[in-house]
This record gives sequence, C-alpha cells and structure tokens, in this order.
Amino acid sequence: MDIANLPIRKLNTLFNKKDLKPSELYSKIFDNAVGSEASLHAHLTLFEEENIKKAKESDGRFEKGTAQSLLDGIPLAIKDNINIKGYKTTCSSKMLSNYTSPYDATVIKKLKESEALFTGKTNLDEFAMGSSTENSAFGLTKNPWDTDFVPGGSSGGSAASVGARSSIAALGSDTGGSIRQPASFCGLVGFKPTYGTVSRYGLIAFASSLDQIGPITKTVDDSRILFSAISGQDSRDATSIANDQVDIPSDKTAKIGVIKELMEDGISDEARNEVSKVIETLKTSGYEVKEISIPIIKLAISIYYLIAPAECSANLARFDGVRYGLRIDGNTSYEMMENTRAEGFGKEVKRRILLGTYALSAGYYDEYYGKALQARKEMIDEFTRAFNEVDYLISPTTPTQAFKAGEKTSNPLEMYMSDLCTIPANLAGLPAISIPTGVTNDNLPLGVQIMSRALSDESLLNFSEIIEKEIQFDQQPKGWV
Amino acid sequence: MTLQPTIGIETHIELNTNTKMFCRCGVVDTEEPNISLCPTCLGLPGALPVPNKKAIEYITLLALSTGCEITTKGMFHRKNYFYPDLPKNYQISQFDLPVGLNGQLEIVIDESTDFIQIERVHMEEDTGKSTHSGTGRIESATSTALDFNRSGVPLVEIVTKPVITSSKQAVAYIEELRQLSIDLNISEGRLEKGNLRFDANISVAPEDSKELGTKVEIKNMNSLRSLERAIDYEIQRQSKAVHDGVEIIQETRHWDENKEVTSTMRSKEGSADYRYFSDPDLPNMYLSKEFVDQVKSSMPQLPNEQREELINTGLSLKQANILSKSDEWIKSLYFKVHQQTKDSEGSYNWITGELQGQMRKANIERLPEWFSHDYLSEIIDLIKNSKISFTSAKIILSQLLEEDSTPNEIAEQKNLFQENDTEKISEMVLQILEENQDVVDRIKSGEDKLVGFLVGQLMKQSNGSVNPGMAKELLLKKIED
Amino acid sequence: MNCFQTTLRIKVSKDFDIQNIAKLASINLSEDEQENLAKDLSIILEHVKALSDLELNTEQNEIYIHPLEKELELQEDELVESLTHEEALSNAPESKDGKFVVPPSME
Repeated sequence: MDIANLPIRKLNTLFNKKDLKPSELYSKIFDNAVGSEASLHAHLTLFEEENIKKAKESDGRFEKGTAQSLLDGIPLAIKDNINIKGYKTTCSSKMLSNYTSPYDATVIKKLKESEALFTGKTNLDEFAMGSSTENSAFGLTKNPWDTDFVPGGSSGGSAASVGARSSIAALGSDTGGSIRQPASFCGLVGFKPTYGTVSRYGLIAFASSLDQIGPITKTVDDSRILFSAISGQDSRDATSIANDQVDIPSDKTAKIGVIKELMEDGISDEARNEVSKVIETLKTSGYEVKEISIPIIKLAISIYYLIAPAECSANLARFDGVRYGLRIDGNTSYEMMENTRAEGFGKEVKRRILLGTYALSAGYYDEYYGKALQARKEMIDEFTRAFNEVDYLISPTTPTQAFKAGEKTSNPLEMYMSDLCTIPANLAGLPAISIPTGVTNDNLPLGVQIMSRALSDESLLNFSEIIEKEIQFDQQPKGWV
Repeated sequence: MTLQPTIGIETHIELNTNTKMFCRCGVVDTEEPNISLCPTCLGLPGALPVPNKKAIEYITLLALSTGCEITTKGMFHRKNYFYPDLPKNYQISQFDLPVGLNGQLEIVIDESTDFIQIERVHMEEDTGKSTHSGTGRIESATSTALDFNRSGVPLVEIVTKPVITSSKQAVAYIEELRQLSIDLNISEGRLEKGNLRFDANISVAPEDSKELGTKVEIKNMNSLRSLERAIDYEIQRQSKAVHDGVEIIQETRHWDENKEVTSTMRSKEGSADYRYFSDPDLPNMYLSKEFVDQVKSSMPQLPNEQREELINTGLSLKQANILSKSDEWIKSLYFKVHQQTKDSEGSYNWITGELQGQMRKANIERLPEWFSHDYLSEIIDLIKNSKISFTSAKIILSQLLEEDSTPNEIAEQKNLFQENDTEKISEMVLQILEENQDVVDRIKSGEDKLVGFLVGQLMKQSNGSVNPGMAKELLLKKIED
Repeated sequence: MNCFQTTLRIKVSKDFDIQNIAKLASINLSEDEQENLAKDLSIILEHVKALSDLELNTEQNEIYIHPLEKELELQEDELVESLTHEEALSNAPESKDGKFVVPPSME
C-alpha cells in the first residue's frame, strides 16, 4: 500500500512505531508533486526547502518519542487564500501576485502548533469566486481522474492535490460549496463546518457571513482530525463561536431526510442514483428515511447571488494599489485605483463586484439585498423546522459529474446553477459534508451531501463515517502515485 | 423679507481609549508614521474587526449624559467609499441603529441657557492621515503621503437636529460638548490636536417659511474662531444669493482660513451613494440593562450640574459657565476658597482674574506645589478686613508664585500692612497738606478733581500702605477745616 | 434547468447604468467590458427578480447578522503588539520616509 494513500491515523501509528519517518513520507509526497504538477497544476507554490528541514525536525520528535500531535509530520496543502506568514498569498489573482503575508491565519497558527507540514499553496478560482478553478489568473487546474475535466472550484487545487497524492490532506474554503463540490468531483471527502466554529482570521474574505475554512481529505476520519485541529473560538474573529458541540444520534435511531427539491429537475440521473444508493444502504441498516420538503431552497441561488456579491463588493474594495499588491499608475489616486482594479481583477470577480455594488446601491437595496436577507432568515427557519423532524438531511452534492473546461463559461448563470445543492448550508450556517459514493459511466466520481443542525459537526462526521464504511468507496484516480 | 438661518452641526470626538476601535493597536500621538498597525487597521487581506469594550462604554456614557435613548439592539454598518486614507475603502460606522437617539445639550450664552436637540450619537472608526506634497494644498499637490497610525481610532459622531440659529449658539454648543467630553473623561478635547472636529450644515429661509432652504455643508473649520466666522460668512453668502435671486446649490464647501471665505470643493456630482449595509463581520450588538446601568453608575458630575452648584455659591450663570469650562484645578480651587471665605465674587475674581493673569504672564501652567488654597483665602480675608490694599495683595500673590511662604509673612516682610489708624493717617495728611498748599487752595476754589492727586501723594509717601478710603476721607475733612 | 422559475415577472431594468456602477466600484472598464458585463448582469438580475417579487414575513429588525444569531462580544481595551513598521510597509508599491505614497488624492 503506497504510503501516500494512507489515512492520517495510520501514518501517525507508523511514525510512532518507527516503521516510517516523516521525512520519508514527505519525500514521497514531494515526488508525487513533481510527477503531477506539470499536468495538473494543483499547486501555485511548493515549500520544498522549508519542508525538508521541518520533516527532519519531525523525524527527531518521533525518534525521541516526544511527538504530541496526530498531525505531526503530515504534509497538508493549503488553499492560496489563506495567509501563511512570509509566503505569497495570491488568491490566484493578478492583484496579489506579488503579495507576501506578514501574518499567519489563525488556522495556520494552530496547524503550526500541531507540527503539520505545508506542501505549498494551491490554485483556486480567483478570490474563491467560481466552481471550476477556471477563473484563476494563473491557469486552470485539471481533474486527476481525467485531465480533460475540471476538478471543481473554488478549492480545485486543494482537491486535485489530495486526489493526486501530492499532499495527504488539504484545507480549502467554502462559501457556496467550494470545498464540497471539488471534493465530489475528485472523489474525496469535503467538509464545511458549522459557521463560526473555524476562525476566518487570515482567510481572505469573499462573503463574510458565508465563508468557512474546512478540510478536503481521503477519509472522514482525516476530516475529523483536521477539524479538531483548526476549530475553536478565536478572539480575533468576532463571528467565531465556541465549539460547544450538540450530540445527536448517528446510529439507526437517527432520522434521515432526503431533500425533495434537490431530487427534482435540474439534477442529473447519476447524481440522483448516488443518493438512492446511500438511502438504500441506510434503510437496509435499519434507518428511518423520509422525504423532507424545504421549498425556499428553490430560491437559494437567487438569495446567494445577491448576498455573496454584495458582501464581496465591500470585502474586495481594499484592493486598490495603495498599501500592497498590484499598482497601475494614474494622475490622481482615484485614477490609480480605478486602473489597478481594472487590471488586477478577472472577469468573474468584476462581475460579482458590480452585481454586489448594484444590489446595495441607492434605490435598489430593499428590492435586492434587503429582500435576500429576509429570505435567508426564512431559509434558516425552514431548516430549523426540518431538523425538528429529522437529524440528517441528504442530497446530491452537485447536480452533475465534473464538466469539461470551457463547457460552462458562456453563460454566467450556468456555472451558478451547479451550486444549487451546496449553497443552502452556507446560507443557514449549517455543517455539511460530501462523501464519495461512486463513479459514473465516464469514470468520474460523484459524492453525496449530508447536512445536520448547527454545532452537530462531530455527530455528522460520525454518521458520515458509518455510511463511508458501508459504501466502501475505495477508488482513486490512476497514475499519480 | 427677513431670512432666518438654520444650522446643524456634526461633531466627531476622538475617544482617549488605550487601543483602537476594532483592533488592539495602541492609540498613539506621535510624529513617527505607521508604527501602530496590525492587519486589521491597515486593511490587509484576511483581517477582521473586533470591537473595543471601553469605547462602547464611553459612547454609552456620552449618550446617557445627553439624555439620549439607548438602542438596545444595535449594529454596525459599512459605509462604502474609496479614498486612499481609508484602508478598507469602507468605514465601519452605524447607520439606522446608532447607540443614542434624541438627546439634548444645555448651552450657555452670557446669562441665558438654551437647549440644543441632538439627533443621534453613533460609533465609528477614524481614517489615516493624508499629507499632500507640493504646496500643501490639494489642488496643486504632486503626490500624497499616508500615515495610518490614526486609522481605526474610535470616533463618536454626534449630530444635532437643525435647531441652531446663530454662529454664537454654534460656538456655545461646541464649547459645551467639548467640556462634557473632558468631564466624562472620554476625550482630551484638544481642538488643535483634532480630538474634536466639526462640520456645519447651513441653510437660510424666509422667517415665516415652513420649509428649510437648500442645505450647504461647510468643512475645514479647525477652531472655534473659524467656526464662528465660517458660519457668519456662509449665512451672509446665502442671504445675498437669495436676495439676488441666485440659486443656492446643495454642495460641500471648504472654509478657507486665510481668505476667510467658503468655496466649492472639487467634489463629485450629486450626493454620495454609500451603499450602507450591516457589517457581516460584526454580529448584532446588544447593550443589556446591566451594561447600561453600570455605565450610568460611573457618571461623574456633568457641566450643567457643576454650574448649578456654582450658582448656588452665589455666582452668576455667566461666571458659573466660565468656571465649568475651566481646568479641573481651577474649579477645585474655587470651591475650596469659597468654602473658607464664603465670598463667591471675591474667590471668582481672584482666581479667574488676578491669579490666572499672573500665571500667564510668568508663563506658569500649573500652580507650584507649595501653593495652597489657604493663601488665596487669607488674601481675600486680609482685604476684607482692610489689612492690605488691593495693590499689596497683587504683590503678595506674585511673590507666592515664586516662593513658599504665606500672605501674612510676605506682608510683614515687605511692610504691606495697611495703616488704618486715624491718628497716624491724620499726621501724614497734615504733612501732605503743608507740602501742597497751592493745590489745597485750588481745591478750595472748586477744583475737586485734585483731591485724587493729594491722595496719590499720600499713597506714594506711605508706600501704598495707607488705607486709601480713609486717606481721602481725612484729607477732605482737613481741607474743610 | 427550470427549478427557479416561480412567478417570474420579466422586467429587465432599462435604467441599469453600468458606468455609474463601475464608478461606484472604482473599476475602470473598457467599452467592451462595459457592454459584456452589462449584458451578464442583466441576465443574472432577471433571474433574481423572482426573489424581489416575493412577499416575505420577516421584519427588518428581526434580521440577524450572524446565521446562528450570535451576539457581539466586546473586547477589553488592552494593547496587543502587532506589525512592526517594516512589516507594515513590506508590500508597499511606493513609500517614502515611512509613509505610503500615492498620486495626489483629490477631495
């Protein structure tokens, strides 16, 4: 069994038993990167030099028996919208192509304390806006299952890296599905925690009330380990909350709901089949499964594509060429800012900034943004009602399997539609996970999404693990290790 | 037709907290640029705001002291506009749910009081500082340099209702607001340091008109003097325009200190669209009853309460007002001296007149540590009992500012005790009359004014130690004889 | 995909001023960009109109910022050291005498 295929706990056991050294693992991982990056372009930067040193230090700890953390010596890929001090954080944008972070994100600080390694920074859709990584200013990332296809987005690079084993696990960020959808497209586990359980300090903001950092991993247990390491209330993030977990059953006393509106038109047969497969498995194991209707989900895309652009239009206003990043000159500072932003932002980013600006502008606030906020509250209420009836909600993660690059870029709406299943969890702040369940006729993987009530992340992970064990999805893209 | 001016004033008060409003960088007063910064106040990507408790306590204190209703469920809003000294290109402020609403401030002009209605009191953050190179004037600058030390400092914005009707009222209002913020210990109130900044909105309309005229905003008034002059100028300018049939444009005008005129600023057409929306990085702010009660219990004596107390000691409103706006040590000195002498006029005059005058002349800002309120009380008593003349008292006071002694000692030393003995004075009178026989004759023939000359001679000869009242009396008596 | 067409009143905003919006967003769009982006935005706005036509029950003052209705926690006024002067200026496109330099800013 190739070591790059092993889950974290197993690797840690090998390190402790001295059957494997962290430097050996890193060496293999780095070789995989060398072998895959040219065709996949998952990473934007690799931290080779630093890691050789760090891996040796990890070796030393396991040698002496002083290694404390499960993540000690484990190479993780980090999405390039998360600040690591002393390294570039580009958000895959021309705007920040020369920006070096002077501080660590809180999640990075925590991972450094766990003595994890960072393979490098991974490619994403520019400023996390997109569902395919095609919006990166530095070239697109390919899907390791079939390089004609996209890996999904916006955390495409992180997913491709884990898929091709150029990292053991990765961090991504999820605003409307950017962890779960690429995980689904790449046959991996992708977990978006309850809003607020993971600090956003140091994550370059797209939509503040929707963004969360989370893991993309090979197994549910790996996601559990990463979640445990990065979660916790942070005094630097006023929206972060104490991780006071709510326990709900994951055994067959748990009640399961299938979201009606996400099994109708607009969902491909393949995606529906994966859900049916999981439902059957659960029923066989004695779980009670029923259909749950959440009508306002039909408006999820409209709500999201008003709230997210509105927030991002303000979050991205700071990119102006004054204190950092790209600067294009002008006669006055206004001109300089306008020119810099024209040059520095790609098309999708401009689209969303303008849409958001419009939705907030005088005369239109009530009609657009104001309405969206009200609808969001309705959605939260509808989910609360649903979770009075069931403990877990199941749906497809994505309407379809991965698509080819260029397939969805003609009409902006087409790309947005693919977020239909994932957006509701962000709007309602709920924990949501995608686990791989099968492969389509085109040999592309698909996942199934499970959601649960706020702060039941650990129960959700437990329940997902049960399904994972039943389904036994053990496939991986060929030719990378 | 008589035109009536209507004025509203917007004031910004810098709070003297230790740290900034949304980060824990120090609030500094230094020439060294960019030394108190963090990712948040510099607007770096990924940074987040965390509110300052003390600042909220201070604004609540201010709102309570002006009788405002406190908003229990408030929030912060983003005010979106682009400017180089605004790091995020939005300012965190409050829009429709400010901390305080509908208060009032008592102001004093000479011997009468008035109430200025306050519309709202809200919390926001300050911007960085721009310096324009070249001539220092914006129009001909070649570049602009930015220092962000001030970025993020807590600012309270207070907006009056449009109820002010003269420049005099406006000045009295700012003086009162300034004193209030000093007494509450929330600001140093130094106008020259920009601790308090204000803009005025001015319009004119016919006396009997129900509608207000076109509102013009005036900026760049850096002192009370410029506030007064700018308002007077603008009222005059607008009145002339109305009488000439010229339309008044709704705009922002800049007060030119040198030319003493208001002029159009090169601003964008129409009013700015700030696209306010609730800041998703800052959850709803609940100010509980306990919190408000606790703040209320820490309320010190307010300026208007001080004035009442002062009036009760026997002072006029005008005098009480002046004292209420004096430094703490002066107020304290007055109360102590008054308590001992029961002489309000005397205490007031000696402290605000002679003492402060002499200190100014000698360039002393604070009383020497040996200087006790007892000395002033002693001096006042000595005068009351005719033991020393007013002139002698001045000498004693001056000496006390230089050396550690007592009034009695100094009077003894310098032989300043007044001669009150009738016999002794009569002797001197006779001598003076003998020496000035010609003058006596002139007085006898009707030139009464020359009595003063003789008194003067007597004072001169006795080194000012004769009771002048008695001297005059005895002179006249002797002349008659 | 038709799952979003509820009662859709098709009313494309004719007063959609792309130049004004670009100005507010401080982005200098080329003419081509203006045309394309205006078109894109019209398509998207037409779609989200279904939302604005809805009658909703939620009052404005029931809106919570945080999806989990968390309350703001105020932090103690205590100094925390952060960036050094050098770190603060480390990414400055232009600086002089410790200050960030930009072309002249008009009021």
